[in-house]
Amino acid sequence: MAVERNENNTNRKLTIRHRGRIEQIGIYLGKMLRMFVYQSDWKVVPMAVLIAGLVGMVIRSRLFINREGTLTGAFCMVMVCIWNGSFNSIQVICRERDVIKREHRSGMHISSYIVSHMIYQALLCLIQTGVTLYVTRLVGVQYPENGLLTPWMIVDFGISMFLITYASDMMSLWISTLSRNTTTAMTIMPFVLIFQLVFSGGMLTLPEWSAPLTNFTISNPALKVLATQGDYNNQPVVTLWNQLNKMVDKEVNVTVSLGNVLDLLENEDIAAIADLRSVKVSDLAGQMDTEASESSTAALQADLAKTMLESKIGSLTLGELIDMIATDEKVQAERDMSYTYSSTVGDLLHMAGEDRVKEILQNEVKDVSYNADYDYTIENILYYWFRLIVFSLAFAALAVITLEFIDKDKR
Amino acid sequence: MNNILRVFTTIFFDVSDLNVSLLLSVLQLIGLWRIFQKCGVKGWWAFVPVGRCYQLARCAGREAEAPAYCLTQLVSIIFSVYLLFVNITDVEDNSTKLLIISVILISLAIAFVIYQVRVILGLIEVFGVKKRWAFLWMINETAWLPALIWGFGKQYQPGWQVQDIKAEMERLATHGSATAMDEGLTINLKDRTVREFFQKKTLLRDIHMAIPQGHMVLLLGGSGAGKTTYLNAINGYEKANAEVLLNNTNMYTEYKKMQYEVGFVPQSEMMRGKDTVLNTLLDASKLRLPMDVSPSQRRKRVDEVMEIFGLLPVKNNLVEKLSGGQKKRLSISMEFLSNPSLFILDEPDSGLDGVMARELFTQLRKIADTGKIVIVITHTPDRVIDLFDDVIVLAKDSARTGRLAFYGSIEEARKFFGREKMEEIVKSVNRKEEGGDGLADEFVMKYAEVQYGC
Repeated sequence: MAVERNENNTNRKLTIRHRGRIEQIGIYLGKMLRMFVYQSDWKVVPMAVLIAGLVGMVIRSRLFINREGTLTGAFCMVMVCIWNGSFNSIQVICRERDVIKREHRSGMHISSYIVSHMIYQALLCLIQTGVTLYVTRLVGVQYPENGLLTPWMIVDFGISMFLITYASDMMSLWISTLSRNTTTAMTIMPFVLIFQLVFSGGMLTLPEWSAPLTNFTISNPALKVLATQGDYNNQPVVTLWNQLNKMVDKEVNVTVSLGNVLDLLENEDIAAIADLRSVKVSDLAGQMDTEASESSTAALQADLAKTMLESKIGSLTLGELIDMIATDEKVQAERDMSYTYSSTVGDLLHMAGEDRVKEILQNEVKDVSYNADYDYTIENILYYWFRLIVFSLAFAALAVITLEFIDKDKR
Repeated sequence: MNNILRVFTTIFFDVSDLNVSLLLSVLQLIGLWRIFQKCGVKGWWAFVPVGRCYQLARCAGREAEAPAYCLTQLVSIIFSVYLLFVNITDVEDNSTKLLIISVILISLAIAFVIYQVRVILGLIEVFGVKKRWAFLWMINETAWLPALIWGFGKQYQPGWQVQDIKAEMERLATHGSATAMDEGLTINLKDRTVREFFQKKTLLRDIHMAIPQGHMVLLLGGSGAGKTTYLNAINGYEKANAEVLLNNTNMYTEYKKMQYEVGFVPQSEMMRGKDTVLNTLLDASKLRLPMDVSPSQRRKRVDEVMEIFGLLPVKNNLVEKLSGGQKKRLSISMEFLSNPSLFILDEPDSGLDGVMARELFTQLRKIADTGKIVIVITHTPDRVIDLFDDVIVLAKDSARTGRLAFYGSIEEARKFFGREKMEEIVKSVNRKEEGGDGLADEFVMKYAEVQYGC
């Protein structure tokens, strides 16, 4: 046995091989899994349940239903993942910094130690992602049926959530290697979370100079991938219509002068006015005939008007008629006379046709707020996943580099 | 031209406008020049931007604060100079830049003020004046007044001076070497230095000794004498300008192999409290024992060690549930697993009562008797002194460097220092401000003379 061989120090074999990096990963992974129950690590799972339940109840009525709901819902889910990931690992290294120092001088490889954490934390993140998906479904979030990369959207969504959680977990692991104690780590944490929240680039309009900062946040590709999977660009936009609906009882007073009306009716640069001006008065009379047939009184009035129009000015266009009226001296004398029209937003909508207004608004706003980053394509999703994986690996590499300097700690 | 002048004054006088503030700054620097001279620092440092902060902190006995104090000033100067080149009238274009710089400058200013308060209070202590002077120092427009008064006033004299470390080190230089042994530990340490900002600090110097196998050695020294630094230098963990040979193998060049030959038991129990005793030892054995040791042999070794250190009854307990003595024994067991040739323990008896400490040291004596070298730091040596063979006494000399004041047997130490108890020996080499006799320099020189005739 090696220990016995060592009794004679002078004959000691210096070529004895100790456990290398791969074997040490097993030692530390085993230790972490064993201690899962004794350490407070298990608490992150019920915490994830609570957070998912709370957030799920808030976003369930909007996520995947309309564009605004999808974006805010995706943002909330991103924050859930970042929160979960961050708190998984923020204390794991700094709380046992002294132990690591001791073990490092006894032959522990820092890379093995970090890799074992990477594996252990991946398992934790996987559990949290599963729990979050289950709980959000339970509280009523309706996930779309078909996925882009797998036959099930919930699996696609789950992979994204896992990658977001894991990337932020690795980020916190790195912060934990930088911090000398748990107090420092927990002091840095809020700044990091605020940075992720503000510079996600999707929710808040950022000044131009700060746009490049979004490339350094996990929340940016995270929000994009969830919004993409939620088919953001093909969802209806409801904000403007909802706002209008809230204003149906609001009174609207419009005051115009006769001059304003005439100037408007003479302006052929406006396409709608030009169309109106080209209509023949006789055609208008025919239309009145059709509409008036629905009531006897109206039919009588229309009949009279029709006779008048057809007999005297039937061959004129509306434009010519308007010009005739506008040049009349009596009308000119009253150009400055103003008229006030009172109505409600609801009445105006009714006049214009509610469905038509809704359709126009949604189509116009949809085009304006279209975002190519959220296009429902496999390329987009793979690109965002790739960015999240790069973040995870980069933070893990930084953690190894930082911890390699642990021996320089001041005593 | 005007801009160049503004940059110059910003860097050298912390003032960007050529007005009365510049004149006041110049007056303050003249005062500082005299203060530095009074404190034993070269006066011209007063005119070196950033450097003067460092020297002022040294004069105030606040060297620990000096790096951060200087750094905050350096960054402030850089941003202030940058601001000179930002056209402030183009607020539209530069509003974001100005905002960011303002936020940074405000944060730096807060940190700078905090460090300045610490340094000024230190200076007040050194000059033995009333604390109300701090108000004048802290306001830019009035700081020139105390600087000039303290600098030129004859009644304002510092209580102590910054030492000329270089001269002091030359005065206390000793030379010697220990002859390498085939079996044992040979240490020839020239120096162990660290660079701290503007200064290279020598933590340890001129320590030479040869410790034979089977010796249990007591390492004595006051706080700050460099005991832990010395132990880390011995095992190659923090390399010094030295040659350390264990059984004629160089600890530094063969560190990767030799690190398993050294068992270092730290002062605090650096173990995971949420793991069991058995699992802690099993994991430690996987790390420390060679690959060719089979799992059953490893388990056998763990059981052996648990039996030696009386841990078998608590093997399934969580580490955090153990008593202080049990934790110490577990900590030692972890290192003992690999059966190292050199066993180093940093205050293994801290927190233990006399009986438990005695029991622990008896165990260590048994380990030494198996042919190993055991080096122990303890602050209560007299209760177990009969168990030791040798004693190393480290002392901080007047250049604040850890030096070897003695290495030899316990009896020789008593004769050399003229004191019976080990605690009295420590007291004799401790500095006067630490409650000691302040005889470190004398004993360092005396030992060098006895050993090497220099």
